Amino acid sequence: MKSIVLSSVVTALLVFSGCSSKNPDADGASNANAQEVEAVKTETVSSDNGIISSGSEGLSMAELEKKLTSVYFAFDKFDITSNMQNTVSTDAEVAKASASNLTVKLEGNCDEWGSDEYNFALGLKRADAVKKALVAEGVDASKITMVSFGESNPTCSDKTQACWAKNRRVDFKLLP
Amino acid sequence: MKILFTWLFIISLSFGGDATIEVIKKVESLPSLAVEESTSSYDDTFKLRFFKSLIADLNVISVFNVDRHYRKTDYDSSDVVVENKDMKYVLRYRIFEDDNRYFNVKMKLLKESTEVMNKSYKIKKKDFYMFISHTMAYDINEFMGEPSVAWMKRKVIFSRVVAPKKSELVISDYTLTYQHVVVKGGFNVFPKWANKEQSQFYYTSLDGAKPSLKQVDIKTGTVKSLLVSDGMMICSDVSDDSKKLLLTMAPNGQPDIYLYDVATKRSSKVTNYRGIDVNGQFINNSKIAFISNRLGYPNVFSKRLGTSEVEQMIYYGKSNAACSAHNEYIVYKARESSNAFSKNTFNLHLISTKTDFIRRLTATGINEFPRFSKDGDAILFIKNYKAQSSIGIIRLNHNKNYLFPLKYGRVQSMDW
Repeated sequence: MKSIVLSSVVTALLVFSGCSSKNPDADGASNANAQEVEAVKTETVSSDNGIISSGSEGLSMAELEKKLTSVYFAFDKFDITSNMQNTVSTDAEVAKASASNLTVKLEGNCDEWGSDEYNFALGLKRADAVKKALVAEGVDASKITMVSFGESNPTCSDKTQACWAKNRRVDFKLLP
Repeated sequence: MKILFTWLFIISLSFGGDATIEVIKKVESLPSLAVEESTSSYDDTFKLRFFKSLIADLNVISVFNVDRHYRKTDYDSSDVVVENKDMKYVLRYRIFEDDNRYFNVKMKLLKESTEVMNKSYKIKKKDFYMFISHTMAYDINEFMGEPSVAWMKRKVIFSRVVAPKKSELVISDYTLTYQHVVVKGGFNVFPKWANKEQSQFYYTSLDGAKPSLKQVDIKTGTVKSLLVSDGMMICSDVSDDSKKLLLTMAPNGQPDIYLYDVATKRSSKVTNYRGIDVNGQFINNSKIAFISNRLGYPNVFSKRLGTSEVEQMIYYGKSNAACSAHNEYIVYKARESSNAFSKNTFNLHLISTKTDFIRRLTATGINEFPRFSKDGDAILFIKNYKAQSSIGIIRLNHNKNYLFPLKYGRVQSMDW
């Protein structure tokens, strides 16, 4: 179980505001030393810990996930190329048959050229293209969710063409 | 002849306040300033670090021609160091630890050997020395009667990618020297200050099944979940009065810009294009700038809220994928090389919606994340050049860029 730890920044905050006073005095300084409030902990359930045994065919979710192949894209493009069509069809078969009672999460990814909102949107349009193709092949649209990770989830970090091509992809994850 | 002069006068007036026109201030025309240190406590490494920070800040205010020599003297000496006798201004300071182990700075500004200003500063820990140095530069700038550099004292919040799908949110000073991690663990991106006071911020959490927008109150440490959207959920901009947000959401896999009312918690769709519409920025309360690929490549457009009127803002650049707006000015990132498969150059440009001028703000490398300061006086950005990442400050009215190298990590997004 991952947790997000939100640490306190009261000290830093007061430092920022405290040092602007015209005549800093002991009060101002003690502000900088204000005690930290208790850290608030929140819990987030990540997709990683959703790996439980399921399955009409006795396959675990992790095993099913391995049967789903990533779809790759051209530079700055979000349309599915003809050589990726077979991959999508195979993925659709898995999603319709053995994974039919699970939700498919499509994760859109981009190469490193740009780390702004536009890149996230590009990743999402890729995920959306895969969703449309899956739905066209008979997968239930309500069983598909999408997310974009922009350039922040690379599988390859070399500065080569081949590497950038590996990062322009849509991955499949299964959720119960 | 009179008519000619009148015309010249009118033209000069109309260009007077336009930041897209380069203002070249010759270095020689600025008054000289030297800095003298007279410190007894602390080790030499730390003393030099403080000196360097102060010199950098004094450079950034762009008021003086700053001498970078590290010279020592007695704080109460009536004469300046002999090498500095021709300097118009001399800043003399003393850093010392008091009985409570607080970090203290005493400073005075001498103009032609006469004291014209003095001030004292105190802070609990010497690790926060950079805030004192920023404040000293701010105070000197105020004393010199120059336009405010209040942005120097503002905080920067940024997300740093530490591993694939792992990031942390960090609050820092404007040079990113001081860094404090506020949200650790998980995959959190696009932090955005929620108000002018910088007491709250928004960010996107990508850990759940769907992206969600969270709001954090720094003082109380509370975290609220505001909204969830399939696909994308980003807070792109906060209005001046903090009451309205421009969000990018994609409830049906279709990224569009939405206007969110903080009080009523209701959002309304602003753009409708079937492609990509992202990065909404308030130009004012009734008009926004945004990035769209409606021409087949990313470019900057504007839209008047409540109407369907969309206007193309930029007619230069092959790929303009990010922007930041302040009143009539828009700074945007343009890809300047067309090679899709090798290293590319990305430069920042400034346009005014009132004139046709474009001013190029950077020259080399990959320059991104342009962010206007709240008063529009400066632009903060990230520069990646020759395997070195730096944070840059562009002083628009001084035509100068300053770079501060980043210690580690890749910045995913930032707000100022």
